[in-house]
Formats: sequence, C-alpha cells, structure tokens
Amino acid sequence: MAKRNRLEIIRDILFIIRENHSIKPTPLLRKSNLSSFRFKKYYLELLNKEFIKETYRKNKQISLTEKGSKYLEKYSTIINFIDEFEL
Amino acid sequence: MELITGRIIGQGLGQGLGRLMELGIETEIIYSFVIIVCSLMIYFGTKELYGLSSHKGIKYFRQSFLFFALAYFFRSFIKIILLYFGRNELINFLPIFGSITLFIFMYFSSMAIFYLLYSVMWKKWDTNSKKIYLFHLLALVIAILSILFRNPFIYFSINFLLLFFVIFTFHISRNQSKEKKRKQGLHIIYTLLFLFWVLNIMDILIPKFFKTFQLFIYLTSSGIFLAMLYKVLKKVGTN
Repeated sequence: MAKRNRLEIIRDILFIIRENHSIKPTPLLRKSNLSSFRFKKYYLELLNKEFIKETYRKNKQISLTEKGSKYLEKYSTIINFIDEFEL
Repeated sequence: MELITGRIIGQGLGQGLGRLMELGIETEIIYSFVIIVCSLMIYFGTKELYGLSSHKGIKYFRQSFLFFALAYFFRSFIKIILLYFGRNELINFLPIFGSITLFIFMYFSSMAIFYLLYSVMWKKWDTNSKKIYLFHLLALVIAILSILFRNPFIYFSINFLLLFFVIFTFHISRNQSKEKKRKQGLHIIYTLLFLFWVLNIMDILIPKFFKTFQLFIYLTSSGIFLAMLYKVLKKVGTN
C-alpha cells in the first residue's frame, strides 16, 4: 500500500469523524492507522485550523466543524488542482 | 486617375497600420489591466483551496501570480510615464524615482517567475526549504544589476541567462519525473509564460527594442494569462 500524503491523511481522519458523527480520541487514533506521535501532530493541526472541535459530555468527543466538512467537500477539487498544475 | 486613387488608398492603409503598431497609453492601460486582473483573479480564486489545504505548491503558485500583478503594475506605471512625457528611458529622465521604480519592477518580476518555478519544484527541493530565500537574494541581485549597469548587452545577457536557467530546470525536472501522465498543455503554457516574461522585461529595459513586434507580444502575453486563468477557473469552479 502506497504511503499516504498529508492531504490524504487529513481526509481520512475527517472522514472517520464524519462517519461516526462524533468519536473519542482513542478509537480515532486506532482507525486512522497512524503512530501516536503522527496522530497527535495531525490532531493538533486540525484543531488549530478549526476543522474539528472537542466537546465534553461524559468523555471527550471529537466532531467535525463546518470547515472540516468543507475540506471533505472540496478535497477532490484540491487534488485535481494540484495534479493539473503539477504542484 | 486610377494610379492616384491607388496611391491614396495605399497611403491610407499604411498610415492606419502604422497607427495600429504605434501603441499609445490606452493600449498600455488595457494590456496591464488584462494581465493584472487575470493574475489577481488567479490569486484570489485559489484562496479557498490554499486556506483549506495549506499546500505549499498552491501557496507558491498563488504568490507567483500576486508578484506578476505587482510587477505588471509597476511595468505599466513606467510605460505610461515614458509615453506621457515622450521619453525613452526612465532613469535618464527621473534618476532617483526611475531607479526605485525599475528596481521594484525587476525584483517583483524575477520573484514571480522564481515562485512559479518553485511551485513545480518544491517537492524535489524541500530538503532545504531555505532555497526560496536564495531566490529572493537572486532577484535582489538582478534588480541591483539592472540599475547599476545601464547597458543593453548586460540586460540581454542577464535575462536570457535567467530564461535559460528557468526553462532548463523546468524541463529537466519534468523529464526526470516518474509521473505517468504529464500535462503537455501546461508544459507549453509555462514555457511561453517564461519566454514572454523575458520579452516584457526587455521591452522595458531596452527602449524600442521590440517596437515592430510590441502588439504581437502584448496580444500573446494576454493570451497566455487568459489561458492560465481559464485553466484555474475550470479546476477551482465558479462557486
């Protein structure tokens, strides 16, 4: 299996969250197929960019923001653009 | 009678063609407007894609067109002043103001091309991400040399060495690329963009160098930028 690039990893993480509506950090780490070090790096990036948000009920839950949904919606446009201009 | 009529028609056509080839302030304004608007539309049209992806390639691509817009703004500024006062060289006419304007124009136009090259090459060069600072330094050196040595031969040498470097690097990189499908159309557009960028610079640095072909250069340059804008808008979408 080819190594995923940064944009693919972000898409996969956001996709998992969307599929589950909201998810706890540990199952998300497991399902994202990343080392905990890399997962933490991406997780913080997604929080900083406001693609995901943390909510607290009994436990910490992660859910998608509007910006995160927009990323998933625009993902194929971004990839096509990068491919078209060989960026 | 027929001979006289023929001569009058011939003179009329000649004058008309001559007037068409003599480009005035209006043509400069329209030309600059087309290039600046195309560049800014590319810059702002890709804002959302960069905002979402933070992709370095998109970043350098956008910056390239921002620098194109700035460079063409200063280019049109120089051209309009020269046309308005009927002068050939800005530095001889307004030494300090002319030097500063020419310096800014040369720096922005060099950086526009370097950013475009970097947008395609960054993945190969990113082992040393400070390379972009090297390009800023090189653009500064080019701008300083353009002001210090006011010699057409020096201008010609610097710009064609640069053109050779940019096209050579671009083509070598593409030939080494393992990508299965390479975009032939993009390849041609980038090569023409690099070539006409140098012709536009030469047009400013060496007065009346391309007088006969100026309209052709303007139309082709506008066509290249419009083609780039079309490709960008087609990919980005209109929403």
